[in-house]
Amino acid sequence: MADVKLNNIKKSYGNVNILHGIDLDIKHGEFVVLVGASGCGKSTLLRLIAGLDEITEGELQIGSELVNDLPPAKRGVAMVFQSYALYPHMNVLKNMSYGLKIAGKDKAFIRKKVQQAAKTLHIDHLLERLPRELSGGQRQRVAIGRAIVRDPKVFLFDEPLSNLDAALRVQTRVEIGKLHQELGATIIYVTHDQTEAMTLGDKIVVMNQGRVEQCGTPLELYQHPITEFVAGFIGSPKMNFIAAKVQSIEADHLVLRLSNGAITKAFVDVTSCNLDDDVTLGIRPENLSEDSDLGERISASVSLVEQLGEASYLYLTLSDATEMVMRTSGESTTTIGETIDISFNAESAHVFNADGLALKRHRAGNTKSPAELARLKAIA
Amino acid sequence: MTTIRAKKAFPWHIVFFLGPGLLIYLTVSVYPLLDTLRLSLYNEEMNGDLTFTGLSNFSKLLFDVVWSDPFWNATWNNLKFFVVHMLVQNPIGLLLAVLLSSPKLRMRNSYRTLIFLPTMLSVVIVGFVWQLLLSPLWGITENLMWDIGLGNYFDAWLGKESSALFTLSLISVWQFVGLPMMLIYAALLGIPDELIDASVVDGSSAWQTFYHIKLPLIMPTIGMVSILTFVANFNAFELIYTVKGALAGPNFATDIMGTLFYRTFFGFQLQQGSLTMGAAVATLMFLVILVGVALYLFLFQRRVQRFAL
Repeated sequence: MADVKLNNIKKSYGNVNILHGIDLDIKHGEFVVLVGASGCGKSTLLRLIAGLDEITEGELQIGSELVNDLPPAKRGVAMVFQSYALYPHMNVLKNMSYGLKIAGKDKAFIRKKVQQAAKTLHIDHLLERLPRELSGGQRQRVAIGRAIVRDPKVFLFDEPLSNLDAALRVQTRVEIGKLHQELGATIIYVTHDQTEAMTLGDKIVVMNQGRVEQCGTPLELYQHPITEFVAGFIGSPKMNFIAAKVQSIEADHLVLRLSNGAITKAFVDVTSCNLDDDVTLGIRPENLSEDSDLGERISASVSLVEQLGEASYLYLTLSDATEMVMRTSGESTTTIGETIDISFNAESAHVFNADGLALKRHRAGNTKSPAELARLKAIA
Repeated sequence: MTTIRAKKAFPWHIVFFLGPGLLIYLTVSVYPLLDTLRLSLYNEEMNGDLTFTGLSNFSKLLFDVVWSDPFWNATWNNLKFFVVHMLVQNPIGLLLAVLLSSPKLRMRNSYRTLIFLPTMLSVVIVGFVWQLLLSPLWGITENLMWDIGLGNYFDAWLGKESSALFTLSLISVWQFVGLPMMLIYAALLGIPDELIDASVVDGSSAWQTFYHIKLPLIMPTIGMVSILTFVANFNAFELIYTVKGALAGPNFATDIMGTLFYRTFFGFQLQQGSLTMGAAVATLMFLVILVGVALYLFLFQRRVQRFAL
């Protein structure tokens, strides 16, 4: 078993602190995705786990062994790089066997391992080729193959899909997901693409300015972001934020007066609220509707329409100039310049206090993963 | 569909842009070279007339003891001069480049500049300074060596037949070690960091990373450095001339092709200069370098590929 434990990991370069104490607990076989804006320290954290940079402070355990001072290969980690980092002067076979050769394994063993991995990744016909003779997707597979042959306890992926074109990215993403199912290995995956994070991760770690902002399953982050940052980061297009004041406090909901004067309800934990508090209402574009029958209503004018086919994004401006985005049906005929009444369900509203912390939502939707749902349904 | 083909005007712009460069190249490089080759086939009479004598200059140079002894001596010395550069200058250049590219090194630019500085100095100055430094009469080297307890090992290195050529080679190495260093350093910087990281994650030590990853990737540069060294060494002249004069003493121990050519062509002391014999020596120098470069191109460069990084 190879659990990965990060205990108050800090990293600084001279006086500049990059990571301010990261605590993470990664179970064996978990697929953990580190997301965050560029410069948030996610790649630095991955390099610390890989052993490419020194940990300034804190403890890193892999499989209950303290590995702070071990070189990468001794930690049992393998890494896939953004640029693939294939050795340009070696063919695919040599690229994949390099690590084992360095480790002093015998030739027959290496051959077997590489063949096996090549077969899994469908690159067994490419073994004699040089990296420059491969397409982007094939290089990506070779890079993954190079990691697999070493039977690492932990796989590290550093934005592995960002050099691929859109179609290939989706395909490779699915394959990485399947690979995880097959290998059952622990994977730590860095990306800035939240679709990748949502689809691949068992657990997502949202990082912001060298700190873990929130850590949880994809749907937990989506349904229960604990800060405004996470709420804005997870989901695309971004969650809408509207300044508001607490008008009245009821038993299970707040009544808010939005900056444009509209009055809405929000089903959140009210215990820490006072009348007239400044709060922020958060509402996701996909929770807004052009039908004005979902309870809470706002009037807005349309400033831009993006038609994607299956859906259209309406860019809206409220009377107080607050900008909003909503996702509506691709069939919608609403167009630029119109003023429309949009509505949302009070249960889908998020509320953040003046410090940017979320108030717990009472009536959020499903947060269980497919695997968990399947298990629960089997029991029932 | 009919296509109308405009009659193309004569591309005068090509002539205009290539012309000046071509003209200079032809007059100062191609013409002298061809004329030298031509001259080597003639003999100069007392009255200055040239008579065609075929390859007799070459047979004299290669087989007549009066000529062939100095010729083979110079060739042999030149080869030693080259070997010292290959075995000392280029490995040290490589080592310095690797040290310079180490991310932990501080004051990198200062080292780089200091090591490269002698390369920019005139060979005459370098030769003169080293001659003073190593002089057994007023050089500071002897005292310096006594100070650190190595005084017994001091010798008049530049004055002895056994050590003069080697010493001069090392002076030249000292001056020019910055060139291979810079070229190899640039090549090392061109290797992406992720490639090195990948190798580290694969478990290689610093040495293994160097040997298996960096070295193959800078091989083309090392090849280029070698061929540049070869050409420069077989064209060398100034250092020997500055330190030892045209006679390349002691007793021709430091005579190389360049100095031999100088004496043959311009004459020195009792030796009369000869236009045609000088041309023959120059032609042989040209051939030696030609053969060396050709060997490099066919044996080395074909096998070593440059890899897009």
